[in-house]
Amino acid sequence: MAFATHLARQIINAVALLIAVLVLNFCLIHLAPGDPVQVIAGEMGGASAEVVAALRAKYGLDQSLLQQLSIYLANVAVGDFGYSYYFNQPVLGLILQRLPATLYLTLCALSAALAIGTLLGVVSARRPNGAFSHAVTVVSLAGYAAPIFWTGLMLLLLFGSVWPILPVVGMTDVVNPKHGFAYALDVGRHLVLPSLTLALVFIAQYSRLARVNMIEALSADYVRTARAKGLPEWLVVGKHALRNTLIPIVTVAGHQFGNLFAGAVLVETVFSWPGMGRLVFDSILRRDYPTLMAVLFFSALMVMTANILTDVVYRLVDPRIRTGRR
Amino acid sequence: MSALLEVDDLNVSMRNGSGRLVPVIEHLSFTVAPGQTLALVGESGCGKSMTALALMRLLPEDFVITSGRIVLEGRDVLALPPKEMRSLRGSAMSMIFQEPMTALNPLFTVGDQIGEVLRWHQGLDRAAARSRVIELLRAVQIPAAEQRIDAYPHQLSGGMRQRVMIAMALAGRPKLLIADEPTTALDVTVQAQIFDLLAELQRSTGTAILLITHDLGAVAELADEMLVLYAGRCIEAGASDTIVTAPRHPYTRGLLNCVPHLAIGEPPKPWVDLGEIPGMVPPLGARGADCAFLARCAQACDVCRAKPQPALESIAPDHAVSCWRKTELAA
Amino acid sequence: MTVIESTSQVSAPQTDLPARTAASPGRLALRQFTKSPSGVAGACMLILIILVAVAGPSLYPVDPLDLVGAPFMPPDADAWFGTDYLGRDVLAGLIHGGRATLAVGAVAALITIVIGLVIGAVGGFFGGAIDATMVKITEFFQILPPLLFAMVLVTLFGPKLTTITLAIGGVSWTSVARLTRAEFMRLRDLDFVKASRAAGASNVNLILRVLLPNALPAVIVSATLAIGVAILFEGGLSFLGLGDPNVMSWGLMLGQNRNYILDAWWAVMFPGAAIFLAVLAISLVGDGLNDAINPRLRRRS
Repeated sequence: MAFATHLARQIINAVALLIAVLVLNFCLIHLAPGDPVQVIAGEMGGASAEVVAALRAKYGLDQSLLQQLSIYLANVAVGDFGYSYYFNQPVLGLILQRLPATLYLTLCALSAALAIGTLLGVVSARRPNGAFSHAVTVVSLAGYAAPIFWTGLMLLLLFGSVWPILPVVGMTDVVNPKHGFAYALDVGRHLVLPSLTLALVFIAQYSRLARVNMIEALSADYVRTARAKGLPEWLVVGKHALRNTLIPIVTVAGHQFGNLFAGAVLVETVFSWPGMGRLVFDSILRRDYPTLMAVLFFSALMVMTANILTDVVYRLVDPRIRTGRR
Repeated sequence: MSALLEVDDLNVSMRNGSGRLVPVIEHLSFTVAPGQTLALVGESGCGKSMTALALMRLLPEDFVITSGRIVLEGRDVLALPPKEMRSLRGSAMSMIFQEPMTALNPLFTVGDQIGEVLRWHQGLDRAAARSRVIELLRAVQIPAAEQRIDAYPHQLSGGMRQRVMIAMALAGRPKLLIADEPTTALDVTVQAQIFDLLAELQRSTGTAILLITHDLGAVAELADEMLVLYAGRCIEAGASDTIVTAPRHPYTRGLLNCVPHLAIGEPPKPWVDLGEIPGMVPPLGARGADCAFLARCAQACDVCRAKPQPALESIAPDHAVSCWRKTELAA
Repeated sequence: MTVIESTSQVSAPQTDLPARTAASPGRLALRQFTKSPSGVAGACMLILIILVAVAGPSLYPVDPLDLVGAPFMPPDADAWFGTDYLGRDVLAGLIHGGRATLAVGAVAALITIVIGLVIGAVGGFFGGAIDATMVKITEFFQILPPLLFAMVLVTLFGPKLTTITLAIGGVSWTSVARLTRAEFMRLRDLDFVKASRAAGASNVNLILRVLLPNALPAVIVSATLAIGVAILFEGGLSFLGLGDPNVMSWGLMLGQNRNYILDAWWAVMFPGAAIFLAVLAISLVGDGLNDAINPRLRRRS
């Protein structure tokens, strides 16, 4: 009951923030140097006089700013994010077409980072001053400091020329197209390097977080209680300590979707992964503003969704939030 | 009657920053008879809790048992392999902790946390464990046990949480229950309830209790025997009635002087001069060979300063004390 | 737990210290910092990198934008780090590019910290409707992925060094703001603040002289890390072709040479390694500072 109200309030808040993002987009178009129509058409769109005139009419560019804004919002409300003259198709279709590839990549990287990061952190927390623990600390520092595009390029160099056992370009084998199960396997092979590259940064963060939280959990009174009950060590660590360790990690992971997505833009560019990130790169290169603006909006939409989902999961896992403190 | 628990010359040390061993508990020996209550008394930092954790072999990482024997029902606890030690914990001996809020895992229901003991030690299935947990919750006098079994720790009051801890400790039908300051974190009114509950459960289950406390009122009421610890050393031991009425060691006397005495029917005195013991327990590493209480002792004389810590010697059949002036102080 | 009962009282009341004594905890933290080997190593690395960036160009006066030889020349005695796809000297790029990269990082981080401090301090100090507004603004910036937002800004306003710096500084201040707000809210109700208020201190005075010095320790670590993030952002933007083509920077070298990685790995690997080392040094310093300033997080030895 209280949960439903809370969720409804969050969704209303999210919608308000997303409208604010649209207003921001609108402002940016008008603040940018040059004629807004040029921005809307995209500099490299090769907009003819005809097209420009049509755009002026469509976006009411001779009317007041407020009217222009309402026209813009009304267009977006029916799913019209403008037309990409470079790709020669509506922006919405373009984005929906690229969305799945990006979701594969980000979700794959996220699960890998969560699993590997937690595992490394938990194992190193067992002996906080041991050699393994120090190794994990060093690796996580390095993983945090290494620019993601550079790591990607180095892996590309390694697997592209030195040791070519994994595909480094694209999402599928274009020369020998596969079908059915072989297709899935092919995508999986192409997914390895991009998702590993993307995961590295987050593995670094989560292993650190897991290590700190696990050390804290292992010294907590309830863990001592669990041991005093005569429970075996795997149950003490795997149930009592782990659940308490996971909550902050899941929360942080959920609230980092924006960084994950931004990382995907760089990784997709390195490995020519045909997702939204690659789309961002292409639209930057072609000054295709409508697409770029729409991607910004959709990334905010994804971040909002991730935040709300995280909140729901958090409430499910932590009874203190679910049932309310007394 | 043979002892349930026999602790013989137990020594515990802490490894400090530079790797040196610093004594925490020295030459501690005592026995607990089946169904009896032994109280461990002393200020904070005297090694009471460490004694309890040593018995459970749950000492923090930096602490080590350097020598001594702990025998429970004829089994040498310190020689047991880890697996057998685990099967002992929670069944043959179990423990109640000071802070019922932090000692319970906030993320699992109390039913789950009590049921764990039953499922693990007695192999009960979920349904059987559940009905047994409800029985246990009733035994510790938790009202509406059928509903409370699904409650999370934060939904219960401090007293209720401690009752849950007690139910958890009793789930494995232990022969020895170690209660480490079970009421320190609770309201005064609840403290008495918990002590009453412990006494009643002891009558019905026949478990022996090792009660760690600085509540001397509770000791007088509950304990058959008591042991006074100071700076990790036992300085007075014996029947609790005897010690409470006729303490011999200056430290024990000091402790007893700190307890306010109220008598029913008598108006409280306008100014009750509560005693206090000046100074503090010497910190770890600053404990030499001489009597640990020397620096704070008002009765110390040249003998005390010249000689090391005296041995614990009997002054009566059920009373032993570690003090050079034990005979002079008798009066 | 290895903490013994008697030691637990030592650290608690520290935060109640009034601002006047702030200097001595600072010296204390510095002494603590020098005890952390990784923090000192990071500081040394960072000083070395800064020295190279400051003094290097006069010691190695090769214009990084000049074509000095054939393209794709591998590292050898003439050009220690080889030449890039146009025949520019990679070593010159590393030395001169460090200036731009570090400058962008430092200035952008400064902007980040100033915005974050102002938003967080104002919200946390005044509370109520002002706080709610500040929180909403922060929330709004939080849902926009910072790097993506910066990309859009730089694309729209053109890839110039100033635009890039402003864009990076303007998008990633939310964590500083949240931290500052939390610190201010905590400090606001402490007795020494109430005392200053009762003594008639103005709001500006309270914020700048009383609260800010006490909130800084909590913020200083994330401020340090902000420099590293800004450097990574500069690299990311340049990598996507949004670097200033007229000013050599490590990111620009990477971005321009990445298509030729199979022909000249050195022109990609070295600038990336430079970014990596700089960010690593900064995060080592950040870690050391964190351990020195926030004692409760200090690792138990």
